[in-house]
Amino acid sequence: MSLQKKQKKDDTSFWDKRRGKIHTAKGGWIIGEAVYNQGYSMLDDLVGKKTFFQVLMLNATGRLPDKRLAEWLEALFVCLSWPDARIWCNQIGSLAGTMNSTPVAAVSAGILAADSRMYGPGTQTIGASFILEALRKKNIGKTAETIVEEFSQTCQGAVPTIPGFVRPLTRGDERVIAIDQVTEKLGFARGPHLDLAFEIEKVMLKKYQEGINLLGYSAAFLCDQALTARQQYRVVSAMVNSGVHACYAEAADNPPESFFPFQCKDINFQGHAPRPVPKKKLKK
Amino acid sequence: MNRPQNQVNKRDEKFADRTVTKIWDEEPDPENSYLARHCRCHGYDIIELAQKRSFVDVLFLLFQGELPNPAQARLLETLMIVLINPGPRHPATRAAMNASVSKTNSAHLLPIALSVLSGTHLGAEEVVAAMRFLQKRSEENPLKVATELLENPGPPEGDWHIAPGFGSRFGGIDPLPREAADLLIALPGHGKTLQWGDNFAEEIGQMNLGWLSTGLAAAVFCDLGFHRLAGAGLFQLLCAPGLLAHGLELADKPITDMPFLDEIHYVITKEAKKR
Repeated sequence: MSLQKKQKKDDTSFWDKRRGKIHTAKGGWIIGEAVYNQGYSMLDDLVGKKTFFQVLMLNATGRLPDKRLAEWLEALFVCLSWPDARIWCNQIGSLAGTMNSTPVAAVSAGILAADSRMYGPGTQTIGASFILEALRKKNIGKTAETIVEEFSQTCQGAVPTIPGFVRPLTRGDERVIAIDQVTEKLGFARGPHLDLAFEIEKVMLKKYQEGINLLGYSAAFLCDQALTARQQYRVVSAMVNSGVHACYAEAADNPPESFFPFQCKDINFQGHAPRPVPKKKLKK
Repeated sequence: MNRPQNQVNKRDEKFADRTVTKIWDEEPDPENSYLARHCRCHGYDIIELAQKRSFVDVLFLLFQGELPNPAQARLLETLMIVLINPGPRHPATRAAMNASVSKTNSAHLLPIALSVLSGTHLGAEEVVAAMRFLQKRSEENPLKVATELLENPGPPEGDWHIAPGFGSRFGGIDPLPREAADLLIALPGHGKTLQWGDNFAEEIGQMNLGWLSTGLAAAVFCDLGFHRLAGAGLFQLLCAPGLLAHGLELADKPITDMPFLDEIHYVITKEAKKR
């Protein structure tokens, strides 16, 4: 048996069709006519009539949500808007502020930092994927106990690091109470993903004293709203934005390098002791 | 009420029909025109450059269009070594470390750190401003420039950058750029800007002000003939290895490997608490 011989000429027809053109189903600006956005005229149908978060969801998912879902998403962003300069992404805003970087650079850096495996928007996909898979298991008859047990078998530590049910720094999440109140106020009924998330929380609390966190709640809620894991990641991508702003602004309004300065001895150097640089070997 | 009648008409502007560059020439592969068979940097084949020249030579070529002479290459390489790591206390480095320990996507570490290094205080924007300052004032007597600028009051607190690239760091003269300036001036490739900057630093030294890393980079870039706009990105490029190395050192380490201030050391003012 031999591998097929390489074609003499590469087939580039896929790219040839696209060369020199941009094909889009999103929309764009026809000068003098309108700015179209997925079936809407931006200036006639959206500006002043729909909220920023409705348009954000339209742009990210292709679906214009009703106002209350956009309000819920906005509340989620507010939950992530802590002005605490110890939080990693926020501290990057402070560090950028103390070096007189621009607010755009600072906030972009903060948002990039939150694209993390531990917190922030970077975890949304794994949070959503977990609860989607968990519901699939429940629908074939598995209990929340079994779901947790199966997940814990894939983990090394004493506590299974189920996305959305273990939080850095603390046990428990006060933001869940706040966002749940928003859910209720806006008249959303709990869907099957959120119901299951709370069943899993009961197991986690009983066995490991770990409760649901904002990721667990938001991923389940957005699954109930029929957003895929990919769509969730997109709509929440900038959600730490305003907390970074707060930390940036305070540092930028103070003298440069005055934010949390370190002396040399504040770094615990554990590397090689001083040594001379060896002479370069002469080339033969 | 009359509403504004905002007529939108397309400007009659002629756009280039293709993207233009003088830097890089890609010769299409005869079997697939989306692939390049040969790449030439300002006329030199990249594979031949890889065989015959150093990284510094090709870096210089990329930006300047010609290969450097040995003195220019040595000057640039020396600056590259001097700037290779802003150090673990530098805010840009701390940003990389912070992101890394908190499990940020590792591909973001460098952009994060470089964003922090982009500002007007010891960052990329200060390098551009310092190049502008040096190009504008380096024909004048450094004593006269220093005297004139010293008449301005410094800030009430914090460091004073009397001119972009020159000033105090944590209230004193930063010894490292000072020592690096001596090293660079001893090289045959140094030019009049570096020399002028050193004389200027000498004059302002009486006020506890001196070379800053941004000024030193700016002076070398000027002497090597780099365009002012290149100064920002080149400075970031030269500092990037250290930022990345420190970031990666904390990758996959637990968050507890870096300090997280407790409530006693994170002081929230009374005014910030609930009214």
